[in-house]
Amino acid sequence: MKQIDCQQCGTAVLVEKFSIPHTSVQWVSDAATSCPRFAEATADARDSVCGTTALSCSSLSQSIDDAVRDGRLPIKSRVEPVIGDALVADAL
Amino acid sequence: MSIDMTEVTDSEQFDEVRLIDAGSNPTRFARGWHCLGRSKDFRDGKPHTVKVFGTKVVIWADTKGKLNVLDAFCRHMGGDLSKGEIKGDEISCPFHDWRWGGDGKCKDVPYAQRVPLRARTAAWETMEVNGLLFVWNDPQGNPPPADVTIPEIPGFGTSEWSDWSWNTFLVEGSNCREIVDNVVDMAHFFYVHYQMPQYFKNIFEGHVAAQHMRSTGRDDIHTGVQLDMPDSETISDAAYYGPSFMLDTVYTVAGDTTVETKLVNCHYPISQDSFVLMFGTTVHTIDGVTQEQADGMAEMFTEGVETQFKQDVEIWKHKTRIENPLLTAEDGPVYQLRRWYEQFFVDVEDITEDMVARFEFEVDTTKALETWKVEVAENVAKGIVPEQDPTKAKA
Ligand code: FES
Ligand SMILES: [Fe+2]
Repeated sequence: MKQIDCQQCGTAVLVEKFSIPHTSVQWVSDAATSCPRFAEATADARDSVCGTTALSCSSLSQSIDDAVRDGRLPIKSRVEPVIGDALVADAL
Repeated sequence: MSIDMTEVTDSEQFDEVRLIDAGSNPTRFARGWHCLGRSKDFRDGKPHTVKVFGTKVVIWADTKGKLNVLDAFCRHMGGDLSKGEIKGDEISCPFHDWRWGGDGKCKDVPYAQRVPLRARTAAWETMEVNGLLFVWNDPQGNPPPADVTIPEIPGFGTSEWSDWSWNTFLVEGSNCREIVDNVVDMAHFFYVHYQMPQYFKNIFEGHVAAQHMRSTGRDDIHTGVQLDMPDSETISDAAYYGPSFMLDTVYTVAGDTTVETKLVNCHYPISQDSFVLMFGTTVHTIDGVTQEQADGMAEMFTEGVETQFKQDVEIWKHKTRIENPLLTAEDGPVYQLRRWYEQFFVDVEDITEDMVARFEFEVDTTKALETWKVEVAENVAKGIVPEQDPTKAKA
C-alpha cells in the first residue's frame, strides 16, 4: 500500500489500486476526527451510512485519482494480502 | 499508465501445490451483543431453553415484562431451570424449587431457613431493540460500553412497518465465522444467491463492518428477493454491528415503485462448531401499500432470503475452514475483515489500532459482470434455469 496525503486536509492514508474502479484505503488515524469532511458529517449526523463515518471523502477520492494520473500510485495486477500490523508498520 | 500484465500470466512458473491451512476454531465466544430472537416469542409466560455460548440458558419474562437470561444449570444440584416454572419475578428450579432472580442471585430456598452464601449464577445483560432480544456476552465480564449498540429502526413497532417475519436455522459442523466471511464475498452473490452485484464496497470502522451493494437479478433465474418486480434493482446498505448482528436496509426499485425492507441477518454460537442463524424481514408500508400487502411482500422477500440462506448452509456443510484463502482482486478484503472480526475475540486491552481503524475496499466488478452476462444469456438461450433450492437439487 502506498501513502497518499489528502490535498484538502493533509491526512495520510494507505492506498492500493488493482484497477481503475478498484480502490482500497487503509486509514491509519481516526477517520472521524482527522478528516474534516467526516468530522462535519459526524457532527451533523449526516452522510453516515450504517454507522461508519461516511461512504467516502470526495477530497480524498480526488487526491487518489490525481495520484494515479501522475503515476505516483501504481495500479497493481497482483494481490498480495498483507495482514494485521505489518500493513500499518510497513508503510509509515 | 499501463498495467504490467506479465505479472498475472506467470502462474506456470509456480508448480508448487498450495496447501490449505484449516487453522482451528477460536477458544472463546465473541464479545458483543447477540440477538436471540424476537422478544415477543419469549413473552408467553413460559421459561425458554436456549443453547448458546457453549452452555444452556433460561430466558423468562418477570412480572414487569423484563426478559432475563441466566445460565440454565441450577447452582444447587444442577437442575435445568429452563424446565422449571416462572414464580413471580423469579425462575423456580424443577428439582428443589430454588428461586433465582434476573440478577443471577438466589432469592429464596422455600424449604430452608436461609439462602446459602455465594448463591449466585451467571446472568447475561439484556437489551430490547426493534422488537428483538439481545444479550451481552463478554468473556471478561465487563458491562457493554454505551457506544457499542444496535441502531433503532425509526418508527418500528408502529403501523409504518410490517411485523418481523422471522426464520431460524440450525447450522451444525461449522464455526460462525463462515457467515461473517460473506460480508466481503462479492462473487458468491452471483453463484450462491443468483444476484448480479453491480457495485460492491466494504467499510470497516470500529465495531462496524459495512457492505454497500447495488445489484440486479438474473434473467435466467428469479428469486423472491426481487419481489416479483421485473427489472428491479436492489440497493442494499448493510452492516454488522459487533460480531453477530447485521442490519440491512434494502430498497427494491422497479420503475417508479420503491419498496424499503429491513433485513436482519444474525446468529449466535451454540458451540465453536455449531450456531443458530436467524433472519428477519420487515417491510416499510408506503402510500398505496396496505398493511396486508406489506406483510405479503415481507413474506415473499423472506422466502427468497430463506432460499439464499439454505444455499449458504449447503456450502458450509461441505467446505473446510480455511485460514489462508487464495484471493483475486475481485474477491473482497477477506483478510482485513478477519482482522476486524478478531477484535471481538481478544481482551479489550489487546484490541490493536489496525483491528478498528477505518478500512475501505471497493471491488471492481467489470470483469465479473462481463462474464456473468454471457453465462446468463447462454442459459436463457438454452432454456436452462439453475436449480434454486439445494435441498430439492439432491432429491
Ligand atoms: S438443583 Fe435446582 S433446586 Fe436443587
Ligand atoms: Fe451468502
